[in-house]
Amino acid sequence: MGMFDPLKGFGVTFSTMFKKVVTEEYPEVKKIPAPRFHGKHQLNRHPDGLEKCVGCELCAWACPADAIFVEGADNTTELRYSPGERYGADYQINYLRCIGCGLCIEACPTRALTMTNVYETADDNRQDLIFTKEDLVAPLLPGMEQPPHPMRLGDDEQDYYVQGPRLAREQGVPEDETVETGPEEAR
Amino acid sequence: MTVAPETDTPPVPEGYVRLTVDGRRIDAPKGELIIRTAERMGVVIPRFCDHPLLDPAGACRQCLVEVEVNGKAMPKPQASCTMTVADGMVVRTQHTSPAADKAQQGIMELLLINHPLDCPICDKGGECPLQNQALKHGRSESRFRDTKRTFAKPIPITSQVLLDRERCVLCQRCTRFAKQVAGDPFIEMLERGALQQVGTAEHHSGQSYFSGNTIQICPVGALTSTAYRFRSRPFDLVSTPGVCEHCASGCSQRTDWRRGKVMRRLAGEDPEVNEEWNCDKGRFAFRYATATDRFTRPLVRDRSSGELREASWTEALRTAADGLVTARDARGVGVLPGGRVTMEDAYAYSKFARMALGTNDIDHRARVHSDEELEFLSSTVVGTAPDAGGVTYADLENAPAVLCAAFEPEEESPIVFLRLRKAARKHTRVFHLGQWNSPGVEKTVAVAGAGGPLHSGDLLPCPPGGEAAALDELPAEADEALRQPGAVLVLGERAAHVTGLHSAAVRLARRTGARIAWVPRRAGERGAIEAGTTPTLLPGGRMVTDSRARADIERAWGLKPTMLPDTPGRDTGGILAATASGELSGLLVGGVDPDDLPDPALARRALERADFVVSLEMRPTVATERADVVLPIAPTVEKSGTFLNWEGRAREFAVTIESTGSLPDCRVLDTLAVEMDVDLFTQTPAAVAGELERLGSHDGRRPQPPDVPASPAAEPGPGQVLLATWHQLLDNGSLQDSEPHLAGTARPTAARLSARTAQEFGVRTGQHVTVGAAGGTVTVEAEVVDMPDRTVWLPTNSGPSKVDRELGVGHGALVDLAADVPAPPGAAPASPDPSRPDNPAGPAVQEGTAPTGSRRAGDSGGSHSEGSRA
Amino acid sequence: MTDAANPPEGTNPLTPVLTRRWLSPRSWTLHTYEQLEGYSALRTALSAHPDQLIELVKAAGLRGRGGAGFPAGVKWGFMPKEPSKPHYLVINADEGEPGTCKDVPLMMADPHSLIEGCVIAAYAMRAHHCMIYVRGEALHCVRRLHQAVREAYESGYLGRDILGSGFDLDVVVHAGAGAYICGEETALLDSLEGKRGQPRLKPPFPAQAGLYACPTTVNNVETIASVPYVVNGGSDWFRTMGREKSPGPKIYSLSGHVENPGQYEAPLGTTLRELLELAGGMKDGVPLKFWTPGGSSTPLLTADHLDVPLDFEGATEAGTMLGTTALMIFNETVSVPWAVMKWTQFYEHESCGKCTPCREGCFWLAQVLERMVDGRGTEEDIDTLLDVCDNILGRSFCALGDGAVSPITSGIKYFRDEFLALCERNRSTETADTALVGAAR
Repeated sequence: MGMFDPLKGFGVTFSTMFKKVVTEEYPEVKKIPAPRFHGKHQLNRHPDGLEKCVGCELCAWACPADAIFVEGADNTTELRYSPGERYGADYQINYLRCIGCGLCIEACPTRALTMTNVYETADDNRQDLIFTKEDLVAPLLPGMEQPPHPMRLGDDEQDYYVQGPRLAREQGVPEDETVETGPEEAR
Repeated sequence: MTVAPETDTPPVPEGYVRLTVDGRRIDAPKGELIIRTAERMGVVIPRFCDHPLLDPAGACRQCLVEVEVNGKAMPKPQASCTMTVADGMVVRTQHTSPAADKAQQGIMELLLINHPLDCPICDKGGECPLQNQALKHGRSESRFRDTKRTFAKPIPITSQVLLDRERCVLCQRCTRFAKQVAGDPFIEMLERGALQQVGTAEHHSGQSYFSGNTIQICPVGALTSTAYRFRSRPFDLVSTPGVCEHCASGCSQRTDWRRGKVMRRLAGEDPEVNEEWNCDKGRFAFRYATATDRFTRPLVRDRSSGELREASWTEALRTAADGLVTARDARGVGVLPGGRVTMEDAYAYSKFARMALGTNDIDHRARVHSDEELEFLSSTVVGTAPDAGGVTYADLENAPAVLCAAFEPEEESPIVFLRLRKAARKHTRVFHLGQWNSPGVEKTVAVAGAGGPLHSGDLLPCPPGGEAAALDELPAEADEALRQPGAVLVLGERAAHVTGLHSAAVRLARRTGARIAWVPRRAGERGAIEAGTTPTLLPGGRMVTDSRARADIERAWGLKPTMLPDTPGRDTGGILAATASGELSGLLVGGVDPDDLPDPALARRALERADFVVSLEMRPTVATERADVVLPIAPTVEKSGTFLNWEGRAREFAVTIESTGSLPDCRVLDTLAVEMDVDLFTQTPAAVAGELERLGSHDGRRPQPPDVPASPAAEPGPGQVLLATWHQLLDNGSLQDSEPHLAGTARPTAARLSARTAQEFGVRTGQHVTVGAAGGTVTVEAEVVDMPDRTVWLPTNSGPSKVDRELGVGHGALVDLAADVPAPPGAAPASPDPSRPDNPAGPAVQEGTAPTGSRRAGDSGGSHSEGSRA
Repeated sequence: MTDAANPPEGTNPLTPVLTRRWLSPRSWTLHTYEQLEGYSALRTALSAHPDQLIELVKAAGLRGRGGAGFPAGVKWGFMPKEPSKPHYLVINADEGEPGTCKDVPLMMADPHSLIEGCVIAAYAMRAHHCMIYVRGEALHCVRRLHQAVREAYESGYLGRDILGSGFDLDVVVHAGAGAYICGEETALLDSLEGKRGQPRLKPPFPAQAGLYACPTTVNNVETIASVPYVVNGGSDWFRTMGREKSPGPKIYSLSGHVENPGQYEAPLGTTLRELLELAGGMKDGVPLKFWTPGGSSTPLLTADHLDVPLDFEGATEAGTMLGTTALMIFNETVSVPWAVMKWTQFYEHESCGKCTPCREGCFWLAQVLERMVDGRGTEEDIDTLLDVCDNILGRSFCALGDGAVSPITSGIKYFRDEFLALCERNRSTETADTALVGAAR
């Protein structure tokens, strides 16, 4: 052991004293995550409020943690939840298992499933951490209508997909935003 | 070590040719298609229209390969699914030939130009041959920039099958299946060019018992199941092999399930039994196991309220054991296991009856039965199996002639029907001893080959009840056909309706040399006979009256000598009659629906009169309503076991859905026996199977077959006709409950009669007729068909036509027939007042014992029959 | 040589054979026919042994006139000699190839020659049933045939014990519903049986299992109508016409931009130059641009091919096929891509749908061509067209698919510039795109 070694240890202390503090004042001050942060999921809607999810289960298939369960069902003329034939009748994400990898949203063929920046998904019991469709589906924006209801924006699902951005504008979604995730996604 | 170069090549076997596929030499039987030869070598050629059980079509052109014959390359690539092998042929598949590869990729691209991008929502996605092959052989990007053809979608083909014409690749598998295999041309190709599509006939009912198979063989998602539609994706399903519990055909099947719930069932592949097919009942009827009214806990009848209440297993078993011991020690207990038990469960019933109850009063035959039948079963049926000289499916297929007596194959054993049809398409003459040219008869009798009917069997019409006499005096044509080596006589379980029919069959077999096959309807019947659940048979075909056989069993069961009862017991009818008259004190009832019995009224009286009734059931029935203790048992999907199919072939299956906590009958009986201080050692089906194996079958002499003289059919008096009846495949059976899509393809309920009879009674097609007997009446629509005069045919248990329950008589009986006077709906002809308690007829007793609130779910016929009696 | 409508004068080195009666008054009646040697061959034939007739036709080298050119005698020889099942003779009169107009005029003008040929052929093949499958749209022709058959029955040329020979034959005239595919022999048989007309799998060939799974021979009208002349004239006489491997006379039907369109009978091997002379040359003197030797299913040819001998071998050497000798003549005013598009639309409409390449391929080709003609094509599309054609040619179930790509491949082969010109408008954007390969569009 050299003579100056104890001082070396203080060197670290002293130098740190003048660096920027990394401690967060959470939860008093909420941290704003990066725009592409993988937070809680959201099930999006078409501009008229119909759901984008078609219940295809590709997210469940893609999930490496087996955290997602989906069951599809038939849309009928009386009870329509999404354009086209099929909708997701049952949708559950188990946040005890979810590892936030985002493979599910990559797999989604309709951009029904996206991730928000909400990261506060802690709870004190396991049951409440299985999010169901009601917890996940996006809130109704202006001009949207709670399904079930008939297709308002076209005769078939093709219209919804092909005309999507235009329809969004018409329904009052601002130019720099998408129906899915708000301004940061559109940039 | 060096290997000497192979100089001498082995000679080509007789009937084979030698060819080269992808540079490898192979011998193939003459007439084999290139695609199959390649497959045997492990070279998979992509294909859509090709199916080994259908005639080649060459429609999709996906399987193109390069072929060289006699050293000369053929100028065009050839479809390997239509070209047969030849000696010296050189085949180059996509693996070795760039031309074949290019051709296949080209076809794939063409197939995809009009295929919609539906994969995420398509039921086939994930198990789709088109999807798989597109990824394997297709381009990564489409060059098609124009407009796809579109159709309205989906359209229903039957109530079970939906058609999405956009997804269809027009391989014609479904239409060929319908035409060639099922014989129900309910779909056909329509239009031409890119607008060609599968469609239904305008004036055809679209009815088929086999339509579900088209879903399974569709190589794309064009045909989907209404019941399964959008329910799950293949990658989230667990597939478990199983065996169908619905009939004695013994189909192998695949059960797909997730989260403890069966999502769908598919036909399994078993070339020796069901090939790749199954019937719609086997495919679609499985939701009875998840019905809301299923028992999950034992029930015990509360002494004070007289109602059933949930109880613990301990309490229920204690109560049951006490009650059974008391009843046994009083005047005895009869055992009715029912015909749907596995062989293991049947064995447990058999052992329980003999050891715990000390009786031979056990009979699984919850249907029409006779002593003659029992003699026939003990002498001719028990112990037969494919490896023990029994008739097999292959024997049916290769038989020069088959005669079906008291057996309607399509309704009673659909896979036997498919095999008979396959045989008839080749060379077999199929004869039916029956009453009318039912669809099943038509489809096996005059079978159109490639260019028209080549050969045919025939319907040998006889009056109902006159089958035995008819067998004794067959027309010369049929008699001669049956004398050819390999001919088979198929006898249905309905033979028990006709006195002397079993004996006549045995006489016919002796006379012509034809072999006898006995085909029951229910899956458990055949195994139950081996397991000894009849009053005269112990397990393994040992006669109750044979002291050596008894000694065998006593040794195996660890009993002291002479402990087994040595007198034949009562059969189902006898047990019920004895219970109703107080000669027996108690009943142990398995899956028996009294309405299936020849005398439902007697069954109800017996249940009413018995001092103590224990019922092992899954869901409420008339028996559970009256039972003192109800012990819940597992459905097939939640237990393991073995069914013996009609051939005597063991069809073993394992547990599909584990850990549900439900118990098989054998386990429940074992525990119940323990409570009665008896050890059955039947805790698990595996343990029972082991014991059955050790026991083996009896090698002693079989009893003589019955020789009862044939009785002629009854002579109808004025206003009377003879009743012909049999079950339809899809009917009011409780295992088909909560399957509306399946019920949609049931055949319409109609009374069939000949034109002359119709005229005599003033009936027109479409008009309602009322058939009456001592028990009550049945009113259904009439249909005029070609059948013997003074005969009426009714489905046994379809819609309002519940022959056993409402009429109380069976096949061959004399019934009254009357045309319904056109009357306002709801009004029907007068019949005995069913609400009078002193009326001994079936309906009255049923009304008395069956509180309407607890009727089985899906008992849709109820309202009809009530209407008819109003 | 002669032309039914406009007989040329003084240029006739050869006596017309098949068309010799066409200009006679009421040539379609039995009376006229009998006066002009009608039914004389039948008497000769019925006195011979059936096998002698087959040998005679083989020796004459009569080749099928329906397009494929298969030797008729050989085809007849495929029929089993011992009739364990009924034999059928089926006449393919479902003339549907675009540009083809030879069988209908023949049946209109001289139906009895066909009927006489039927009796002789049926006798040779030991068939007692003959079906004439006529295109349903040719209503007038169907009526004439019915009338002719009726006359023949009344005069004892058909029915029981024909001319005292003990030979029986029944002829049925069947009107098809107008599907091009029913000109394919097995599809025709399906249609005749009352099914949808779709080609059958071969083998079994019709000679083993054809109509109602019985031995069947399907022959073209012109082939069968040639038979009485072969019987009367003998094989050597027949071989004086035409060329070594393709002997005999042939009806060439000329249509399009010629002065006198119509049917011209000439020996096989005649060139278009000679035929154009007969037809009075190109209409209004506008130069020839392209032509088809045998209907739209045969690869088209250009003015460079005026001297190609039009027989089976000559056509093959020139990279095309003789087909039905339906010569469609186009002058310089016609756009090749447009003509090809129209033909392709025909094939798209007429594809039976059984096999993938033809069904989907024609659907695709038609759309691409329509787009190109509309000026929305790109150079890439030409390559796509050729590649799709390559994926159809030789891959389809029957020859319809092969025929469908002929006009496209040959059109692009000879007139690629015209196709390219159509894409000119979209060229600039194409290059811009190419510069941005990999970038999102």
